[in-house]
Amino acid sequence: MDSELLSDTFVDLADTMVADFDIIDFLHMLTDRSVRLLAASAAGVVLADPRGELRIAAASSEASELIELFQIQNDQGPCLDCFRTGQPVTAADLSGPGQQWPEFAAAAVQAGFRTVEALPMRLRGQIIGALNLFRASSGPFEPADLRVGQALADVATIGLLQERNLRRSETIAEQLQAALNSRIIIEQAKGKLAERFNLAMDQAFTLLRDHARESNQRLTDTARNLVDSATADFPPRPAGEVSPSTGQPQYRQPRYRQP
Amino acid sequence: MTENPRALLWGLIAEHASRHDRGVSVASVCAVAVASEGVSGAWVTAASGQTPDVIMCATDPVAEQLAELQLTLGEGPGLDAQASAAPVLAADLEADEPRRGWPAFTPGARRIGVGAVFAFPLTIGAIRAGEMGLYRDSPGPLTAKQFGECLILADAATVFLLDGAGGDVTRGYNGVNGKALDLWPPDLARHRAQIDQATGMLTVQLGVTAGEAFVRLRAYAYARDRRLADVARDIVARRLRLDPDPAPDGEP
Repeated sequence: MDSELLSDTFVDLADTMVADFDIIDFLHMLTDRSVRLLAASAAGVVLADPRGELRIAAASSEASELIELFQIQNDQGPCLDCFRTGQPVTAADLSGPGQQWPEFAAAAVQAGFRTVEALPMRLRGQIIGALNLFRASSGPFEPADLRVGQALADVATIGLLQERNLRRSETIAEQLQAALNSRIIIEQAKGKLAERFNLAMDQAFTLLRDHARESNQRLTDTARNLVDSATADFPPRPAGEVSPSTGQPQYRQPRYRQP
Repeated sequence: MTENPRALLWGLIAEHASRHDRGVSVASVCAVAVASEGVSGAWVTAASGQTPDVIMCATDPVAEQLAELQLTLGEGPGLDAQASAAPVLAADLEADEPRRGWPAFTPGARRIGVGAVFAFPLTIGAIRAGEMGLYRDSPGPLTAKQFGECLILADAATVFLLDGAGGDVTRGYNGVNGKALDLWPPDLARHRAQIDQATGMLTVQLGVTAGEAFVRLRAYAYARDRRLADVARDIVARRLRLDPDPAPDGEP
């Protein structure tokens, strides 16, 4: 395990009381670091919407996002059991016989995963969601990796639940709603691109994400510009706003250290 | 497992509407908020593009004054909620003022006896329909349960505002037998992505804004007595395309 990355990750996960905190960036950082630190192929986070529903908040890959969605749609799978019980749930050989969640197991194998570990995100009595680790090979995760994974989930949960009343006024409950709305914008933009260029939804997402990366825009901003645009042209408008002081495009700096 | 809160609240909205012998509307949503969520009053404003927002309903004079105050001053929780697409929960107006920064709204609201204001953006992704505001005469936060229920009420208000703006869908529902409910699935989280993707696809098929596309999607489902989620799935699977020109009989 990369111990320098591990210590950086704990620092980043605890560092939520800052002015430019973005919950989506934060959760994507959690999934990306989980993959790199814990010998996982993919990772995802589901959070409880206060409406009483589980929602996908972040996923390190399209395949893991589909599997998270499958669990929510079919109301079965290790992630749901973990959320309901507040306990870690292991599914270590999804291609074997006698599966506890047969439809889920088939879908996971289809998506290329044979092992899933769901770790609760909880603080005292409150369960806010789950961190899910996916692996292409069969066999459980190493106990040491799971202890670190649970620690990452715990620190992230504490970070999210801190009462945030420093410079930004939003609480996590408020921010989560903005984050969930961002995800809706992205789905609307995927639909618009898919129809315009006759693409599958995951191809549309790749196009959208690549454009956001190339132009250093937040994915949400790229998606909103596209959906708001009266035409279906893509890219929707030139990247970056022009800074009034320098006349140069203003790019958003990535908050978390890139690999 | 308790009853699905979305189904429960839509039932209350439908019941209120039928008791007052009219179709479901934002007025019923505001009434249910006051009856169920421990607040003193509620209002809904509709975003109207270039011109100022329009007050669609208010449960009492104080609620109406709060809505007007924001429109007059150009500041306040509702405007912040619309700008950030996130709820703004000012549980203690006086104590929250320094960090919220509404130098004119806060004193104005306190003068008419308001202790707390909770503003919910009426948005579906990039679609912006308006704002739902709630106030209480005493300070104090919403409970977690109340907050979740207010989000569901805001979802309902969003749909009713869009339908009202988009034509005749509202005429069809009388809030009877959960008809309106079928057009906004109680287990929305399961169908969320496909409904949103279908909305995006329809902006291109029909050459309309996302708001209009969403209304047309619901109108199609309603006119054919089909579930919204099923219609959305067919559109995403490219088994169904909607025609840009509605048929002469008024069906989309």
